[in-house]
Amino acid sequence: MKASDTWSADELLTRARAGESSAFAALVRRYQRAVYSIALRMLNDRHRAEDLAQEVFLQLHRALDGIESDTHLAFWLRKVAMNRAIDRMRQESRHGAEPLTEAEAAVDETAEDDPLLKRRIEELLAQLPPAARAVVVLRYQEDLDPLDIASTLDMPINTVKSHLKRSLTQLRARVQGTAIVEDIR
Amino acid sequence: MSKDFEQQLRDALRPVEPEDGFEQRVMARITSEQTRARSKVTRWVSVALAASVVFAAILGTHEWQVRREQEGLEARKQLIEALRLTGEKLDVAYQAVNREPQPPPDNESGA
Amino acid sequence: MTMNALFRHSIPAIFAVLSLSAGVASAADGQLKLPNFDSLTDKASESVTITLDSALLGLAARFLDPTKPEDAAAREAIQGIKGIYVRSYKFDQDFAYPKSDVEMVRKQLIGPGWQRLVEVRSRKEQQNVDIYILVEQERANGLAIIASQPREFTIVNIVGSIDMRKLHELEGQFGIPKLELEQKDGPKK
Repeated sequence: MKASDTWSADELLTRARAGESSAFAALVRRYQRAVYSIALRMLNDRHRAEDLAQEVFLQLHRALDGIESDTHLAFWLRKVAMNRAIDRMRQESRHGAEPLTEAEAAVDETAEDDPLLKRRIEELLAQLPPAARAVVVLRYQEDLDPLDIASTLDMPINTVKSHLKRSLTQLRARVQGTAIVEDIR
Repeated sequence: MSKDFEQQLRDALRPVEPEDGFEQRVMARITSEQTRARSKVTRWVSVALAASVVFAAILGTHEWQVRREQEGLEARKQLIEALRLTGEKLDVAYQAVNREPQPPPDNESGA
Repeated sequence: MTMNALFRHSIPAIFAVLSLSAGVASAADGQLKLPNFDSLTDKASESVTITLDSALLGLAARFLDPTKPEDAAAREAIQGIKGIYVRSYKFDQDFAYPKSDVEMVRKQLIGPGWQRLVEVRSRKEQQNVDIYILVEQERANGLAIIASQPREFTIVNIVGSIDMRKLHELEGQFGIPKLELEQKDGPKK
C-alpha cells in the first residue's frame, strides 16, 4: 500500500488538480474496481471493458477541475462510465458487432458462490437492452437506490422502477427456467 | 424467493478488479496523451505564429501602401496648388506689365 | 520702349543674363530661409503652406496622371526641380502680417547669384510683385516670387534647374499666361 492510498478522496482530488500524478494514480486505484466493473457488466468483454475504463479515467484527468468532492467524483465516474458504455453498445449494434459469447463472459473466479449461476446471470444480463442493463447493474452491482439510478442515467424515476421490475421478472424467470412470455426488448 | 434472487444478482454482479497494472496503463495513456497534446499545441503555435507573421507582413505592407498612396495624392495636390499659385503670381506680373500706359503719340513721333 | 515690351523682352533677357552670369558666385542651393509663419496661420483667413522637397516631389510625380493635361504639364514643369516651397496668407484686415518677415526674405535675394527679373509696383492696388531667379552656370537654378498686398502676401521659392520654356508651356494649365520667349530684340544690358 502506498502512502497516497491513505489520503482522503478530497485530499487526493486537491493534489491531483495541482498536477500531482501520484495523487491521480491513487484515485485510479481507488475507483478502478467500480469503473471497470460497470464497463465489464455492460460490455461483457474484458478487453473492451478495460479500454473503456481507461478512457473514463483519461476523461477524468481532463475534467479534474470540475470535480467538487469525493461524492461528486463517484457519481461522475459512474455516470461517465455508463454513458460511454451505452454509447459504445449502441454503436456496436448499429455496426453489427459480434454477439457476445460465453467465453467472453466475465466470471469472478474468486467468488465463493455458484460459478454456473453467476455465468448464467451474466449471460442473461447481456441479453438485456442497454438502458435496462444499466439500471440492473447500478441497482445490484453499485447498490444504488432508484433515485440515484435515475439521476445517474438522467432517466425518470418511474422508468427506472419499470426497468427494474421488468428486468428482475425476466431474469428470474430465465434463471428458473420459466418461459418468457413478455419480450423484454 | 424474490429476496433470494436479488441477493443472487448482487453476488453475481459483485464488482471485480481489472487486470494487474491497470493504474500504470492509465497513467501511461495520460502521459502519451499529454505529449501528443503538447506537440499538437507546439505545432499549432508554430503554425499560428507563422500565419501571424505573414498576416502582419501583409497587413503592414498594405497599410504602408495605403499610407504611401495618401501621401502621394497629398503631395500631388500640393504640387498642383503650388504651380497654380506660381502661375497666378506670374500672371499678376504679366497683367501689370500689360496695363502699363502707352506713351503719348507725339512722344513717339518726336523721337 | 513700353513696359509691356519690356516684360515681353525680359524673358529673352533672362537667357542673356544667364549667359552673362556664368561667373557669378553661387548662392547656396537656391533654397531661401523662410521665416516661421505659424503664428500667422491663426490670424489668416486663408493660408497655404507647401513644402515639397525632392523626395515628396518624386512621390507626387508618381501620382500624376499623364493622360490629364494638367498633370502632364506639371510633370514636365518639375523636371530638374529639387524643391517647391510656398507660403501664402490672406487676411481680413490690412497689414495684419509683419512686413519685416517679408523683408527678411527679400534681403536674402540681394545675395550673389539672385537677379530680379520683374518688379511690379501698383499704387492703385497697392500690389507689389517681385520675381527673382538664381543664376548658376548659365542656368536658372532657383526662382523666388514675393507678392504682397495689404491683405495678403505670397512667397514662392522653387529650387533646382528651372526651364523657363517649360514654365511657358504651363500656359493655360495653371493660369500662367503665355510668355513671349521669341527673342525679338537683343538681350537687355
